[in-house]
Amino acid sequence: MGRIALKAVGLIAAVWFLTVFIFLTPAVQAAEKPIKIGFIHTMSGPISMYGIASSAGAQIAVDEINAGGGVLGRKLELIVRDDKLSPETGLREAKDLVLKNEVDFLTGTISSAVALAISDYASKAKKLYFINIAQSTQMTEEKFHPYVFRFTTNATPYFGYGPAIALAQTFKSKKIISLGWDYEAGKNGLKQFKEKYLELVPDAKIIDELWAPIGSTDFTAQITKIANSGADCIYLAAIYGGGELAFTKQAQAFGLYEKMKMVQPSAGDIESWSNWKQGDPNPKGALTTCRYPFWALKGEKNAAFAKKVLEMTKLEPSYGSLNAYITVYAIKDAVTKAGSTDTEKVIKALEGMTMKTFVGDVKMRAFDHQAMMPTWYGIMDVTPALPFPHITNIKQLGEESYHTIDQIKKIRGQ
Amino acid sequence: MTFEALAGQTISGISLGMVWFLIAVGLSIIFGTLKVLNLAHGSLYMLGSYTCYQVTTSLAPLAGNFWLAVLLAPLVVALVGGLIEVFLLRPIYKAEMLYQYILTFALVLIIAEVCKIIWGAGYHSISVPWPFKGSVRLFGLTFPQYNLFLIVMGAVVFMGLRLLINHTSLGRIIRAVTHNREMANALGVNVPWVYTGVFMLGSWLAGLAGCLWPPMSAVTLGSDMAVVIDCFIIVVIGGLGSLSGAFLGAIILGLTTAYGVLFVPKLAVAFGFILMVIILIIRPWGLLGEPE
Repeated sequence: MGRIALKAVGLIAAVWFLTVFIFLTPAVQAAEKPIKIGFIHTMSGPISMYGIASSAGAQIAVDEINAGGGVLGRKLELIVRDDKLSPETGLREAKDLVLKNEVDFLTGTISSAVALAISDYASKAKKLYFINIAQSTQMTEEKFHPYVFRFTTNATPYFGYGPAIALAQTFKSKKIISLGWDYEAGKNGLKQFKEKYLELVPDAKIIDELWAPIGSTDFTAQITKIANSGADCIYLAAIYGGGELAFTKQAQAFGLYEKMKMVQPSAGDIESWSNWKQGDPNPKGALTTCRYPFWALKGEKNAAFAKKVLEMTKLEPSYGSLNAYITVYAIKDAVTKAGSTDTEKVIKALEGMTMKTFVGDVKMRAFDHQAMMPTWYGIMDVTPALPFPHITNIKQLGEESYHTIDQIKKIRGQ
Repeated sequence: MTFEALAGQTISGISLGMVWFLIAVGLSIIFGTLKVLNLAHGSLYMLGSYTCYQVTTSLAPLAGNFWLAVLLAPLVVALVGGLIEVFLLRPIYKAEMLYQYILTFALVLIIAEVCKIIWGAGYHSISVPWPFKGSVRLFGLTFPQYNLFLIVMGAVVFMGLRLLINHTSLGRIIRAVTHNREMANALGVNVPWVYTGVFMLGSWLAGLAGCLWPPMSAVTLGSDMAVVIDCFIIVVIGGLGSLSGAFLGAIILGLTTAYGVLFVPKLAVAFGFILMVIILIIRPWGLLGEPE
């Protein structure tokens, strides 16, 4: 009889403890559950420097915010995945992060093809996706949906409006000839450059449009035509990397840099110069844009950030690192303002929000979820101060270098 | 249309053509004798460019480091070509042509990966060497000395190869094997070694082009594919296996591109392909090739 009673009491006690345990724990766990940010980028292969620098920028922000107590008492956690420059892999990682890791937000990457795949998934899964570098305007224009936000410039300031405004504010060339690789980025870049530049300098003319097969590196025929064309300015349409180096060498050897102004949108990217050695050719004198001229911006926070990224990655701080840092802080501000990580509330908080960053105030435009990230422009030069060619005489461009809301409405057919 | 504009495009067309000849001639020679269409020809070019970059960088403080690289790098590529021919191609000569294509395509992928592993994924620069660093004035145009050097090199390589093929006993052996390998074999020629030798010669030429063109462009991944397509256009136009055909095809392509850019820039990217299609329709064995 005693033994049975003992067993009964033991059983009741176990059940009671179990029940209390089950009811208490969720409350305890919720208070400690971190806010998870899924970070997908190209972490390996030829252009991995962008992914590595970007993840460093995000991690720096996460560490700073956690040291200050987190967001709404919760810590931030960054989960980094490699998309290997493949839309299939990027999509698979996005699904894995959302379904298995239960991330609150997705962010990344560089390739527009991968970003489009992730953005498409995000709209179906109703998860917020914050674009880090990918430039295709489609994601915030034709293929827009409320769950995507872009915390970087897009192709319009990069290849089109940015260089056009820069040229209109500096040399105001009147006879422009373009040379590009024959692909979408080249054709689109030229179209946008033309429409903005001819609006700002109406008496200018694009006297010819020359194309070379994508990837080609022999521009001799185009260069001799340009030399005889009477043009006072060349616009390079989306020729980058080895192709831009080849063009620069040939154009210099044919004396074009002395004869006319050079507008080379990709030249200002510091990532182009990772293998550059002193004495190598460089597009000195070219007008170009840059998305994070860290050496020229003022302020301690900027200098400290640039130094930290260099320490962590042994790479010069790419604009991806700046964007990622700003994105994480935007998440902090939006979640704090919304009072929760609820997707719809965070969207409302982000739209129209002004982010106070160490490169100035950046507005998140509500209509297309495009942050009005600045673009800087200047003249390329080599100075002893830096180990790579860079822009000098730097000026900053803002919202004027993006499509207007009316233009986007037209593009979307609204 | 000024005389200067026309003259300028003509000389730039010749420059384009000579560079393409230097790159494509190895492909033509290999096909002529071995009847192998080496899809990895562009890859051997690229390997030559990376090797040249490596040698110039390693010997950097030394004056004339580029010219030493021009001596050494093509030999390295020739050696690689020899190894490919002996160990990979020989076993499959008896098999269908399809297997040759699959094998050489596999080599394209392998060589590209090897280059990426050794030299990384970014692009590299080789400087234009002394004494061709400057420019000259030609027909009112500023023209780089180095491009003139390349035009001369194209002519030198063409004439050197013609000398070799037509006026030496080695050349006679090669011609014999090209014409009729069974008969040459019956007459005591060691055909397998002739094959290896010709493949190594073609590889050497690819490696040489890989040293000579990059100072005016770039050492970069992807140059293998960019180059091989133009090579095919040239050998189709000129005739597979014909040395003079490769020269003619290259000059024609160069001038067509240059004039195309001058007069019809929108279509210029397609001109090479249009030309190739025309030749394939009216004279499929190429301008100086022989009908099968």
